[in-house]
Amino acid sequence: MKRLLQTLQGGGTHTVAELARELGVSEALVDLMIEDLVRMGYLAVATGSCGGRCAGCSLAKACAIGGSSRVWSLTEKAAQEMQNAERGHRAGR
Amino acid sequence: MVERTYTVALAGQPNVGKSTLFNLLTGMNQHVGNWPGKTVEQKVGHLTHNGTTYRLVDLPGTYSLTANSLEEIIARDFIIKEHPDVVIVLLDAATLERNLYLVAELLPLPAPVIVALNMMDVAEQEGFKIEPEVLEAALGVKVVPMIATKNIGTRELVAAIDEVIHNTVEYTPKRPEIRSDHQEVLEQIEALIAGHVPEPYAQDWAALKLLEGDKEITRILQEQMSEAQWELVHEVLRDHDDALVAVAGGRYEWIGRMIRAAVTRPKAGQIGLTERLDRWATHPFWGLVILAAILGSAFWLTYAIGAPVQDWLNSAVVGGLARLMSNLLASAPSWLQALVIDGVIGGVGTVITFLPILVIFFAILALLEDTGYMARAAYVMDRFMHLMGLHGKSFLPLFLGFGCNVPSVMGVRVIESRRARLLTTMLAPLIPCAARMTVVAFLAPAFFGRAAALVSWGLVALNLVVLALAGVLLNRIAFKGARAAFIMELPLYHVPNGRTIGLTVWQHGLAFLRKAGTIILAISVLVWALSVLPGGAIENSFLARIGHSLEPLGRLMGFDWRLMVALLASFVAKENSIATLGVLFGASEEAGLAELMAGSFAAPAGLAFLAVQMLFIPCVAVVGVIRQETGSWWWTLFNVAFLLVISLLMGVLVYHVAGLFF
Repeated sequence: MKRLLQTLQGGGTHTVAELARELGVSEALVDLMIEDLVRMGYLAVATGSCGGRCAGCSLAKACAIGGSSRVWSLTEKAAQEMQNAERGHRAGR
Repeated sequence: MVERTYTVALAGQPNVGKSTLFNLLTGMNQHVGNWPGKTVEQKVGHLTHNGTTYRLVDLPGTYSLTANSLEEIIARDFIIKEHPDVVIVLLDAATLERNLYLVAELLPLPAPVIVALNMMDVAEQEGFKIEPEVLEAALGVKVVPMIATKNIGTRELVAAIDEVIHNTVEYTPKRPEIRSDHQEVLEQIEALIAGHVPEPYAQDWAALKLLEGDKEITRILQEQMSEAQWELVHEVLRDHDDALVAVAGGRYEWIGRMIRAAVTRPKAGQIGLTERLDRWATHPFWGLVILAAILGSAFWLTYAIGAPVQDWLNSAVVGGLARLMSNLLASAPSWLQALVIDGVIGGVGTVITFLPILVIFFAILALLEDTGYMARAAYVMDRFMHLMGLHGKSFLPLFLGFGCNVPSVMGVRVIESRRARLLTTMLAPLIPCAARMTVVAFLAPAFFGRAAALVSWGLVALNLVVLALAGVLLNRIAFKGARAAFIMELPLYHVPNGRTIGLTVWQHGLAFLRKAGTIILAISVLVWALSVLPGGAIENSFLARIGHSLEPLGRLMGFDWRLMVALLASFVAKENSIATLGVLFGASEEAGLAELMAGSFAAPAGLAFLAVQMLFIPCVAVVGVIRQETGSWWWTLFNVAFLLVISLLMGVLVYHVAGLFF
């Protein structure tokens, strides 16, 4: 699980399939870890709401924020803690 | 001598078939009540086998054994305090990863565990191949495969209970460990709480729970220790607030090992196909090529089908309507005639002629979304940004909102760091929105005939390149270190549904007509009014004066004042560009706007106009959202100025470069 967070710390976008391959586990397990990380506050589900503007918007269907693929973002809390942990380890605790 | 009655607890996650199993084992010998003092239902039953009586207790279905819900506390407390002789945990073989989490939490508890692997038939249907013997060896506990709904495996389960209770087989579970780098911390906590852990909790288990942040155990131990003693524990916990990840991580690693050992999943059907397609679709290089090709084809198809329909609309409908109105209003005051024919029909009518292009383009995009490709497109474009040196950044929200800049700006919300949010918001309007592309779709064929698709495609590509460059520039100058990371789930590819697509296109078409009937109509009339006041001749109108004042700027790009006014109008809604030009060039009866434009301007100016239009400041709706999301007028104005400068510079550049070729 730590490796998942470390991979994310490098930034960028990763697909579930990619993470599964990198960690050597099944996608179902990655899904499970993601759920847990959301619960722990390290990941946040990306639900951008347009506030109902989709009605006047030309391509609401193509907009995946309301669409079919789910996206999660690494939270500030997670980034902070990982930095602290790294600093702590480097200080030789 | 009569043996005592043994207690067997039945644990499992919700919906794994616990009730079915419970009923199979106890038949009519069951009693339903409540857990003492709680409102949660409790089922207790009896079972006799080989002369031994077992009391079966159904624990509440729970996903794990944290202290977060009443059901979990009940289940956990029963095992710790009542000491059942055996705990059967029922698993759904088709969702093994999730189910094993509960097992990971059960194994450290004091009761011996038997795993009943249920729903083996469902697992087989889903294509899983599970080897119970291997799982047994890996777990170190007895595993009994079952199909409770068909009463298969029940006998073997009861036999297993018998074995474990009478200790005929050795019990050596392989429990999950905490991640190795936290082993020391665990031992530290254990030492600190030694002697204070109340019966019947086990010391090592309590230490683990403390690291996990378990509310109940924390409370219990805090009560048991003096303030000073607890403070020592609290300090260690505070220094390691990421311990929860280490504990959970240890469990996931354990689960991973079990799965790898005992489960194989041949990648059949949809999953296999999706994986194979994605190897190309998400490839760093080929993915981009495929996307470019798809985009190009989308444009080509749009023009191939749309242009002829548009021509027909122009001459038959708009032209016809204009002729009709001029006949009907022959006796009406001339200003009314002009209002209706030049203003309304010239403006709105022209915009309506691009309904066919709009419909086809939307249909294609809806088709791509329905098959699941759009998610890959977003992913590929995000990767593209990395290619341009924007490592560690992620612009996924932008690409997810492709089609309209409003949701993409709102989508920026998901980025946590404010600096990263601001950066991404600055770049959001550079993503070509559908409205901008319709303007291009309309004018490109006029200037470039058969090459229209190529030109459109090129302009979109230009936008993306400018986006990338602007991103790199801003990144270097202003936003060092702001990072954003995302996980994205790519849905399986599937066959598109004609009805869904049809419905979507219909809705968008309707929304577009509504927009045409309101904003665009209003602006058309306004523009027309400004163009005939005060004198009646367009050259002396208010509008002309505004336009002329901007003309020096326009001439750098080969524009005349009318194009500048059209650009201004596009601030309210992109389509207004077309409407405005329609009014100003007097498009209605004889010639459609496209031909008139082609006649008035040479290709370089046309190309420059389109380029500027694509990069220009976004419509008022988007600016409004930017203000809302950034919470600052300063940033919003800066954003607008930034885009203004970029678009005009690009316009000049394109004009001069194109001038070399045409």
